[in-house]
Amino acid sequence: MVSRAKIKELMNESACSHNKDKKKGEGCDMPKPGMAAGGCAFDGAQISLFPYADAVHLVHGPQTCLGASWETRETLSSYSGRNHTVMGFTTGITTNDVIFGGDKRLSSSIDYIVEHYAPEAIFVYSTCVTAMVGDDIDMTCKKASEKHAIPVVPVHAPGFVGGKNFGSRLAGEAVLEHLIGTQEPEYTTPYDINLIGDYNVTGDMWEYLPLFEKIGIRVLSSLSGDGRVGDIRTAHRAKLNVIVCAKSLITLCRKMQENYNIPWVSVSFYGKRDTSFAIMEIVNALGDETLIQRAKEVIAEEETKLEEKLLPYKKLFAGKKAVLNTGGNKAWSIASGLQDLGIEVVATSVRKSTAEDKEKAREYLGEEGILMMAPASEQSKIIDEKNADILLAGGRSLYTAIKKKISFIDVNQEKKVSYGGYNGLLNLAEDLKYAFSNPVFANVSKKAPWEAQ
Amino acid sequence: MNQNSHCEALQKPRQSKNAYLEIPLSKHEHKPLQVNPIKLSQPMGAALAFMGIRNCMPLMHGSQGCASYAKVFFTRHYNESIPLYNTSVGDITAILDGGDYSILMAIENITKKNTTLKPELIGLCTTGLTETKGDDVRNVATHIEIPYCYVNTPDYEGGMESGWALTAKALIKQHTKKTTTIEANKLLLLPHASMQPIEVEKIKEFCESFGFETYALPDLSTSLDGYLSQNQGKLGTGAIGIKEIRELGTCATVVSIGLSMQIAAKALLEKNQNILHLHFDHLMGQENNDNFVSALMKIRQNEPKSSIKRWRGRLQDAMLDSHFLIGSSHFVITGEPDMCVGMCELLCSVGGTIDAVIATVYSSVLETISAKNVFVGDLEDAEIYFENADLVISNYHAERLLHMQERHTGLILRGFPNYEELGNQLKNDQLYEGSTYFLFEVANKLREIKHHANINE
Repeated sequence: MVSRAKIKELMNESACSHNKDKKKGEGCDMPKPGMAAGGCAFDGAQISLFPYADAVHLVHGPQTCLGASWETRETLSSYSGRNHTVMGFTTGITTNDVIFGGDKRLSSSIDYIVEHYAPEAIFVYSTCVTAMVGDDIDMTCKKASEKHAIPVVPVHAPGFVGGKNFGSRLAGEAVLEHLIGTQEPEYTTPYDINLIGDYNVTGDMWEYLPLFEKIGIRVLSSLSGDGRVGDIRTAHRAKLNVIVCAKSLITLCRKMQENYNIPWVSVSFYGKRDTSFAIMEIVNALGDETLIQRAKEVIAEEETKLEEKLLPYKKLFAGKKAVLNTGGNKAWSIASGLQDLGIEVVATSVRKSTAEDKEKAREYLGEEGILMMAPASEQSKIIDEKNADILLAGGRSLYTAIKKKISFIDVNQEKKVSYGGYNGLLNLAEDLKYAFSNPVFANVSKKAPWEAQ
Repeated sequence: MNQNSHCEALQKPRQSKNAYLEIPLSKHEHKPLQVNPIKLSQPMGAALAFMGIRNCMPLMHGSQGCASYAKVFFTRHYNESIPLYNTSVGDITAILDGGDYSILMAIENITKKNTTLKPELIGLCTTGLTETKGDDVRNVATHIEIPYCYVNTPDYEGGMESGWALTAKALIKQHTKKTTTIEANKLLLLPHASMQPIEVEKIKEFCESFGFETYALPDLSTSLDGYLSQNQGKLGTGAIGIKEIRELGTCATVVSIGLSMQIAAKALLEKNQNILHLHFDHLMGQENNDNFVSALMKIRQNEPKSSIKRWRGRLQDAMLDSHFLIGSSHFVITGEPDMCVGMCELLCSVGGTIDAVIATVYSSVLETISAKNVFVGDLEDAEIYFENADLVISNYHAERLLHMQERHTGLILRGFPNYEELGNQLKNDQLYEGSTYFLFEVANKLREIKHHANINE
């Protein structure tokens, strides 16, 4: 069960920058009726754990929870066995289960999965309805775990306890409680790290992991991009936790520091500066002089290579101005990428950003840059005033770009290529090149023959 | 060549590596879970239906995730901004609130935040969460001035098709005025959930060409039809509004398409017993369209216009052109019952062999399908039949499964979701015209995969 005490504890995470400015006990915002956008806690929990391809993810709930959400994220895996990430498993409870309880169905489902799919582990997600009717998921999982001799991990993140971020936190709790520290690694090195919060969407991780290898940093386990359950069980032996663009898993890292004395750093791999900075953060934290030296060499080498490749793009983009309207850390991470390509970012949205994100955005954009608090109403005016050439935003802003006859990139759309690491910048540059040269925005802005000219 | 490969396939025992039991068609599930599900939920069907009403604010009463999932799902399927709001039930309201509070607060918050938003109808659907806690959502109407329609759609019952149908029924039941008078040429169309916006438009135009003043409920033809305009995704932009819904009782004719829509037609007959009800399980293939046309001719006492006659001839020609390829092929179809039944009949009418139909939910219309196996299941069940089929008609999720198998089986994407292709809203499989295009699409796909198979041999 998820208890009120646990909800309260996680809502008041001391290490979270969101909570710095808040009064004691105020904690995270609870969803306001009609105002909550984005996914629920269950959504966040499944996003955080689904990339474990060697485990089966069983959603114990009615149809909406999994029916509309499976096989929707491009979280790639190199797992050579059957990839369960792209599959959907749900108990799909019916009226009977609501009345009489769904424990029996859950336990038969687990048996079925073990018999037909033989996974390394099973994650069982509770949902609003099964939490509400009081199914004893903990007990069912415990018994199944003993019966089948694999971890069967209950994840208590029913949608009504909060938003997506909160669900990620709850998922982290489940991993900490049931998996981390339950196995010893075959061997360890002084350069072992855990990657926390990168889900390897479109292969983001694979853009920077080869650099780690070159430098000599070893990824002991990942939560959870291209991760394995067997590895995360050994995570307590790492020397450092590296959080990648994910505030929600700070609680997990703080607790691992308390329990296992593992320090943590928070980094991002978007753009050249961030990637180089991230690598230095990691090696500095590991504190080995030869490692730091090697990292410096690799960075210098990679940056030179990249600069060479970027040259033709920079020529193409010289003098271009961009307006950015997206949320969270994208407000500065994409801005940083654009600047690396020689594009001037004249405005970015900080509507949903934390104080820390705002500070970073200001740092990247400089004094002249505009931090938009109400981008929907502001962006159109700014495009005119600053003579912007491109708008990078969600699909809803497409019409603004067409009206202003400027180029557009949908940054919220499911991307098919990675923008991560040094090479990701080249992918971003390619996308921008095509966006700038595409006449479609100007063409569809033309008036119809029956409209007044 | 094609004949050969077919004969060879027949000689091979059609046995799968996963030996399976024959799964009977039943209302009861044959296993405790779903693996790679195709079933979609009732509230999603309801939300989609509300999007087909002009200036309707579709509001899902559940935790924020219910609406978020549905929104992302439809956004990707239609490539459109989706108007869908939620009451964001939290842990405290889940226990203490009887429903009214979070619904009223949600309406207030949404309209206060966006003052340009002028909903003419609040379309509320419940979810598993709010049904489990037993909210009474009926009374909200007494507290607000905006017209309000509620529909009980727990997602542990029924599926997308029933959620859509229940919404049409609720709109009529709660808002259509009782009457005894009828307008002779006024017609209401009740399309089932799997119909894409263009299909509704085509059928409406078809009826209009006979001289009917035609309405559809729900009417997505101007809602998710992929139309560039400002202010998208704020409210439903369907072609029917609350004013017209109130006056539907004066329709002389109501046409339900798809068995699921019978309940909505019956609700209308309760408003006015003088209405003539025509029902068609689907509008695919020659026979049902002939029946449809005869019925319309009889009422209007006129001939169809020449283009309709022309399309019938084209369909017949397409049937002959495609019969060789389709007649020598085996099919597996998955999806909502009302969609599957039409496709099966059309394919069977040109000699196709349906190996299996795997439906999302039970419906008695499934009993009428002539196929070797018809049952309610998921893609884990369907996959067993993929191996021996020439062509699979299924949703986006089937694609990866087919990629994994050695034998080259074709795939035509139909039903929800289709994240793979653009232009889903403009795919038309209905009437003589749509059936013609459907047959050609199937035959071309079969030729492509059979040609491919021959090269590889």
